[in-house]
Amino acid sequence: MTEIVMSQTPPILHGPSEKERKYDRQLRLWAASGQSALESANILLVNSGSGVVGVETLKNLVLPGIGRFAIYDEACVNEADLGVNFFLDDSCLGKSRSQSLTELLLELNPEVQGTWYPNESVEALESVLASSPVFTVVMYTHPISPKQLSLLEAYGQEHKTPLVAIHSAGFYSYFQINLPGAFPIVDTHPDETATTDLRLLSPWPELVAFSEGLTKDIDNLDDFEHGHLPYVMILLHYLERWKATHDGKYPATYKDKTEFRRMVQSAARTNNPEGGEENFDEAAAAVLRTLVYPSLPSGLKEVFEYQHTDPVEQRSGFWIIADAVKKFYDKHQCLPLPGKVPDMKAQSKVYIQLQSIYKAKARKDAAEILETVRSMPGGQNIDPAEVELFCKNAAFVKLINATGGKISRADRLRAVADQEFSSDQTAELTLSPLSLLPIYLALQPTAHMTGLYSSSPDANAAANAISADEILRGVAELVPGAEQNERVIQAAREVARAGGGELHNIAALTGGMVAQEMIKIITKQYVPIDNTCVFDGVASRCQVLRL
Amino acid sequence: MTSDEVYPGSEPARWVYLDRIRTRPGPFTNPDVFDGSAVAKAMESMKVLVIGAGGLGCEILKNLALSGFKDIHVIDMDTIDISNLNRQFLFRQADVGKFKAEVAAAFVEKRVKGVKITPHNCKIQNFDEDFYMQFQLVVCGLDSIEARRWINATLVNMVDEDVEDSYKPLIDGGTEGFKGQARVILPTVTSCIECQLDMHAPRAAVPLCTLASIPRQPEHCIEWAHVIAWDKEKPFPTLDKDDPEHITWLYQKALARAREFNIPGVTYSLTQGVVKNIIPAIAATNSVIAAACCNEALKIASNCAPFLGFPDDNYMMYSGNDSIYTYTFKHERKDDCPVCGQQARPLPNVDPAWTLRELLDSLAERPEAQLKKPSVRAEGKTLYMQSPPGLEAQTRPNLDKTLTELGLVDGQEIAVTDPAFATVTFKFRLRFK
Amino acid sequence: MLKIWSMKKEQQKAENADSAATGGKKKKVTAAQLRVQKDLSELSLGSTMSTEFPDPDNILSFILYIEPDEGMYKGGRFSFTFNITPSFPHEPPKVQCREKIYHPNIDLEGKVCLNILREDWKPVLNLNAVIVGLQFLFLEPNASDPLNKEAAEDLRNNREGFKRNVRQAMAGGTVRGETYERVLA
Repeated sequence: MTEIVMSQTPPILHGPSEKERKYDRQLRLWAASGQSALESANILLVNSGSGVVGVETLKNLVLPGIGRFAIYDEACVNEADLGVNFFLDDSCLGKSRSQSLTELLLELNPEVQGTWYPNESVEALESVLASSPVFTVVMYTHPISPKQLSLLEAYGQEHKTPLVAIHSAGFYSYFQINLPGAFPIVDTHPDETATTDLRLLSPWPELVAFSEGLTKDIDNLDDFEHGHLPYVMILLHYLERWKATHDGKYPATYKDKTEFRRMVQSAARTNNPEGGEENFDEAAAAVLRTLVYPSLPSGLKEVFEYQHTDPVEQRSGFWIIADAVKKFYDKHQCLPLPGKVPDMKAQSKVYIQLQSIYKAKARKDAAEILETVRSMPGGQNIDPAEVELFCKNAAFVKLINATGGKISRADRLRAVADQEFSSDQTAELTLSPLSLLPIYLALQPTAHMTGLYSSSPDANAAANAISADEILRGVAELVPGAEQNERVIQAAREVARAGGGELHNIAALTGGMVAQEMIKIITKQYVPIDNTCVFDGVASRCQVLRL
Repeated sequence: MTSDEVYPGSEPARWVYLDRIRTRPGPFTNPDVFDGSAVAKAMESMKVLVIGAGGLGCEILKNLALSGFKDIHVIDMDTIDISNLNRQFLFRQADVGKFKAEVAAAFVEKRVKGVKITPHNCKIQNFDEDFYMQFQLVVCGLDSIEARRWINATLVNMVDEDVEDSYKPLIDGGTEGFKGQARVILPTVTSCIECQLDMHAPRAAVPLCTLASIPRQPEHCIEWAHVIAWDKEKPFPTLDKDDPEHITWLYQKALARAREFNIPGVTYSLTQGVVKNIIPAIAATNSVIAAACCNEALKIASNCAPFLGFPDDNYMMYSGNDSIYTYTFKHERKDDCPVCGQQARPLPNVDPAWTLRELLDSLAERPEAQLKKPSVRAEGKTLYMQSPPGLEAQTRPNLDKTLTELGLVDGQEIAVTDPAFATVTFKFRLRFK
Repeated sequence: MLKIWSMKKEQQKAENADSAATGGKKKKVTAAQLRVQKDLSELSLGSTMSTEFPDPDNILSFILYIEPDEGMYKGGRFSFTFNITPSFPHEPPKVQCREKIYHPNIDLEGKVCLNILREDWKPVLNLNAVIVGLQFLFLEPNASDPLNKEAAEDLRNNREGFKRNVRQAMAGGTVRGETYERVLA
């Protein structure tokens, strides 16, 4: 048989292209769709201070093939840069730092384009923003002057561009993502094990018919057939038997389910060499996991309940499809079927048939939603593939940055501080790690001290650039009382120790984390942080806070 | 800052940011062990070994060079492949086919003035303990569990309680997609890689009979081509997983089988992924994990801040799939770890003229052991096995040979098992009279 | 760095007061070898099995002989090569039948379908578990998930015919056009 197929249809050699080979290890994570999003992206880095963390981030974006980048950096390369920044060498001394960095970064990937500012024709950040093609994401590193920061914030608002702030000093760092509005993600890549949705408690007619056909004479099947019934069929069959003796009701409580599991287990044949049947073992193991009524997952609930404040946003493909899915859910009390069947013990032919029954139902659900989408204003031009992807991932759709700015940033910081400090008091009892908010607070007072960046060879002179006391005074303005907290005081001393300088390791580590987040935002795959990540290089751990 | 500023050529100007941290104590620095005035000099004379010059290795070399280490060695037997270029940033298209260790070392040496990097284009197993003894610190960026276990066992075995310099901290990193881990092993003090083997989930295997008779997934068809069809048809003498011709053969076999069973989804890329067990890898994750490792290296070398491994946490797990999550914890040492669980006890007053039988009798008299039916081996040498019977017969003649005749030397380690002590293996180090 | 090590040395000394070191080279037994040594000394072969070590110093590679004294394969003598990698017990031993035999769970190349040799292997399992599994295959060949499809069909559809085929194959005869090796003891 194999030989005949081989000779009839000589397979066409679809070897991978040069580019596919180069990007193979990442295409396995974000596929061609993610890659093309990366290749269309245009990133701006506004660099300052000792200037490493942003460059390390760019390295991690240039390598996978980001479309283009620009670096704005007013500094000239000095001796201290060479001890901390890998993308500079002795020949760069005295030259424009942005130019040197850009040139050495471009060596990493000939497919990427890069430009630097200030240059002969464009000098001010304002003109860069005005004259460049729209940036997909803008990153800036601290310390940044308040004037430049407000330029970037205005740009972000105007163009709906995500802004990423990064601050790395000594053993500490944090970065913060400011998204221009609610940021939905469909392709969240949930864990394989979490995605099984078999609808055993609400089977549709085709599935019931197929199952009955295979199991109507279950006790008289020969051992081979019996031992190869897919567990889906086994469970559907015994659920009917259960209902017959339980007023037509499915097992609902934990006790019911364990009793039902015993019923399934005892139905396995044991008069064989193994003393049991693998497919019945699989069925028993799946009882608690799969006998669940459809419910609305919290991520999607948030999407359904989201109050739009922006009419433009509301007309986007995502929100139109979300609306159609909500209508579907209201009507059927379940989500569209994802259609994936996990591998299970079964004969090849039976498994493939079962698989196509699930696939057909998934297609039918998606078609119904597509029809609803088409009937809605703005729904005519939506790509059916987008609808299909939504249907497949509906249970795992996530909304980042959903709660809008009802309270001010400053108030929110104080509220979070209250909460973090109070939970720290019981941390020992609850065995939870201590908050890293003190690190964020201690870095804040230096966030705009552009003069702090000093490469004086006298370490003690640098130490005097800012003292722990000065930092604590700044903290007191942000969160009154926090300056008394022992851990904030320690963090302030650690920040003062760095004197505004970066450690290469912490910059590289933070640059890796920021690059991961940039990739998630650009490809709209996986789930980005919401919205601040603090890293502690002394304890080697991080914490994500919503600030 | 303007370009007409004067740049001092001295080293302190170059390392000012690093020196602020490593030469001055901070709030978490342990004053008992920290000496800021000696750090820079001590680090300059320290020898660090990097194992692996791939995704993590490239980053590790860069990070160590910019952390003040001056004398670095790197071992990697691999040559550069085009699929490395999306993350192994020290390599270019024109380097494809060259040795990773050599290209990486030359690049970092050229870029960072004053650092010396010595490449070794070979396997770690090619070196003996004398080689590993020269380093003060080992940093690993490997993708194979086997190599990790080998270097771990080697470093644990090198520990000699009387020789300070025989303790080599091992820092190990690993990544998969957006996830990774960094850990510090202080041989015989903390849990070792062997203790932590359960942290690596073994690769899920499919029953051979499923492949042979009831395939359901594209992976089943590919594994069938790989495990069964290849052996049967032997289209090439040995399977080279890096040879596109070989992968194409497997792909075509798998595709034909998938068609026979109506199974969708067999592609060239999936074939390659299954056959080579490809783990997705990106620059960003390597950057995180390698830097986490080198951050620990800097802290261990300088004592400028507490490091992983002592006294509590020794392991950091990192996941970037869903938001960012780290879990930093203490992985406990296992008492019954076959590598670090039990150090060899010295067995004094052994006479090299003893027969093996006399040695075994002396073991039976030792209070802690009281072995009734001991089986005994040395590395690469089966001395006497009580079981199975065939092996017992084969090794019985050794009982009447002297230790010298058997090639045993002073300081040699022997491993003794006995059915009376099912869970324990006794290790002794012979000390000749 | 060195200071912290002397600190640890103190700690270490306190823990292991009785230990002292010897100089000289220490060749240590590897983890895989230690584990195999332990497994071998706990092996119970009974009267139907025996081992052969081509090189007794290399305990990672040996041959296991099985001579079933009951069941359909009674009177045969079957041998399996065991190759244990340095990754043992993280990875299962590699086991292959050396003869071409007629058996539903062993293919013509000698590959064996035994769950604990592949998908169900766990490091807590030992060599004894593997040989017990192999022995069991000759007492109770399993038709439901075969490697040798023809043999499995015979076993399923015609047990007596299957028995005859086993005898014929063991004697070096031909079954369904396939000639088998003579394995009579």
